[in-house]
Amino acid sequence: MAVKIIESCVNCFACEPVCPSKAIFEAKPHFLVDASKCTECEGDFPVFQCASICPIEGAILDSFGIAINPPGSLTGIPPEKMAEAMAELQSH
Amino acid sequence: MQLPVLNDTPSHAEHGAKGGCAASSCGTTENQMDSLPDSIREKVQNHPCYSEDAHHYFARMHVAVAPACNIQCHYCNRKYDCANESRPGVVSELLTPDQAVKKTMAVAANIPQMTVLGIAGPGDPLANPERTFETFRRLSEEAPDIKLCVSTNGLALPDAVEELSKHNIDHVTITINTVDPEIGAKIYPWIFWKNRRIKGIKGAKILIEQQQKGLEMLIAKGILVKVNSVMIPGVNDQHLAEVSKVVKSKGAFLHNVMPLIAEAEHGTFYGVMGQRGPTPEELQDLQDSCSGDMNMMRHCRQCRADAVGMLGEDRGDEFTLDKIEDMEIDYASAMEKRKVIHQAIQAEMDSKRLEKAEKAQQHKQVPKLTTRPVLMAVATSGQGVINMHFGHAKEFLIYEASPDGVRFISHRKADQYCAGDTSCGDGESVLQVTIRALSGCEAVLCSKVGYEPWEMLEAAGIAPNGEHAMEPIEEAVMAVYKEMAAAGKLDAKPEAAARASA
Ligand code: SF4
Ligand code: SF4
Ligand code: SF4
Repeated sequence: MAVKIIESCVNCFACEPVCPSKAIFEAKPHFLVDASKCTECEGDFPVFQCASICPIEGAILDSFGIAINPPGSLTGIPPEKMAEAMAELQSH
Repeated sequence: MQLPVLNDTPSHAEHGAKGGCAASSCGTTENQMDSLPDSIREKVQNHPCYSEDAHHYFARMHVAVAPACNIQCHYCNRKYDCANESRPGVVSELLTPDQAVKKTMAVAANIPQMTVLGIAGPGDPLANPERTFETFRRLSEEAPDIKLCVSTNGLALPDAVEELSKHNIDHVTITINTVDPEIGAKIYPWIFWKNRRIKGIKGAKILIEQQQKGLEMLIAKGILVKVNSVMIPGVNDQHLAEVSKVVKSKGAFLHNVMPLIAEAEHGTFYGVMGQRGPTPEELQDLQDSCSGDMNMMRHCRQCRADAVGMLGEDRGDEFTLDKIEDMEIDYASAMEKRKVIHQAIQAEMDSKRLEKAEKAQQHKQVPKLTTRPVLMAVATSGQGVINMHFGHAKEFLIYEASPDGVRFISHRKADQYCAGDTSCGDGESVLQVTIRALSGCEAVLCSKVGYEPWEMLEAAGIAPNGEHAMEPIEEAVMAVYKEMAAAGKLDAKPEAAARASA
């Protein structure tokens, strides 16, 4: 059982120092979780520490592959609005 | 020593007018730099970020050692440097503490004017206590002639005060956008606190409490505190006068208001949701009412987290990692050289300050004009003289001339509303954007102006003036003001001036 960091990670470093199991390491092109070390914070904290400080929606997945912080949950930007703004920018 | 800034006799017309928080609450009518306690004035008057004349001579640098952040601000996307301290959209080269120490000493040895080292990001320095403190610890020991400063969002500040007080820390900057949790929830969607993410009003309340507690603890330790606020129209603009009152009553020596810069392509909440930033005029009104007449920090350019050099210039390219790797620095001898140069600069600054004070004295003796104040823009690349071509200026210094003298008001960036390509949104040219950034000014002084901008400036009611190239800024502004007065241009009140004094 382990969480996973995916490509939307922006390499902000926030998760690395808060992991109680020292499972997170800097890598290219983005940070990674050592699945053999990740304890899902069991026994240390009631919530995943990495996913509680990560500012990027969707960057960390649980062991089922589901985003722990789904779109809209952190920034408060409704996903449609984000898509709209990005489409607008692309058309320029 | 008295610092002869130009606000000895501020224009009262302007103050009574501001309504809300005019002179009584946050601005005072006497010169605030003069009213600072001697110990504080001593510390800030040679600081490139605070003293208007010192920033022409001394330089500061930032090192980017602190990547992580423990809160979220609606104007930050975390891909770029902390938007509280840098211009949004900038990415700094992240350094280890060891690299940062090396870089700082290399710069200090090569740019002796560099006197201040700051850690401002790219995230929150106090959310990276090990990296930040190791850098400070080593620099305090190895380069004791460099002053240190740090900026923070305040969440981890109370726990850091003890450690900060052990180093050569000159001052701490806290970004405080509000003292009201309900407003806070509209700026900070969440914080990371005691191993949990806390959202909304609850999170904002904790952040505000930590900021205020940290501020009080620093003051109690005798460490200088500056407060920054980001002005967000419709969110906290009405509230910042209150913030100003609170932080000054607790002992912050300066409250500095910066504009929100939000662009959709940064992908921030404010950017995507279309929250606008303040216009130059809105910003200036608020700065006038909150910073009072304090002349310091009006020249803040929200420098980037790894900036090197005089304010407004960046020589970072000369000190990239691979270049400093090869530099051999003998810091002991560099320190000797630095000392000699600092003394020479000090002597020059002292004599200029004296000269200015004498001029101000003479000025008081001639019969006073009764004309209205006028804003003018100046293009300069430093040394306090008009020495820049209009078309090359990326930013302008704004001065106010009035019968009471000339005072520095602010910087305005020519490209602030433009991503840098030749046309923005509605096919506006860079020139049009620049002219819009100068709205409210009635003249622009530069070394040269081209034909096309000349016509457009005139059409916009801004008189282009290239006659004072290489002259000291304040004297030239005064000369132009007197010409305008003599030509009878200052009797009637055009719209722009009516705003400033009505
Ligand atoms: S879930 Fe916990 S143990 Fe696993 S990587 Fe994240 S912080 Fe570390
Ligand atoms: S906190 Fe999130 S975005 Fe930042 S490094 Fe970790 S996974 Fe990447
Ligand atoms: S404190 Fe700075 S780095 Fe952190 S979210 Fe706010 S602007 Fe971004």
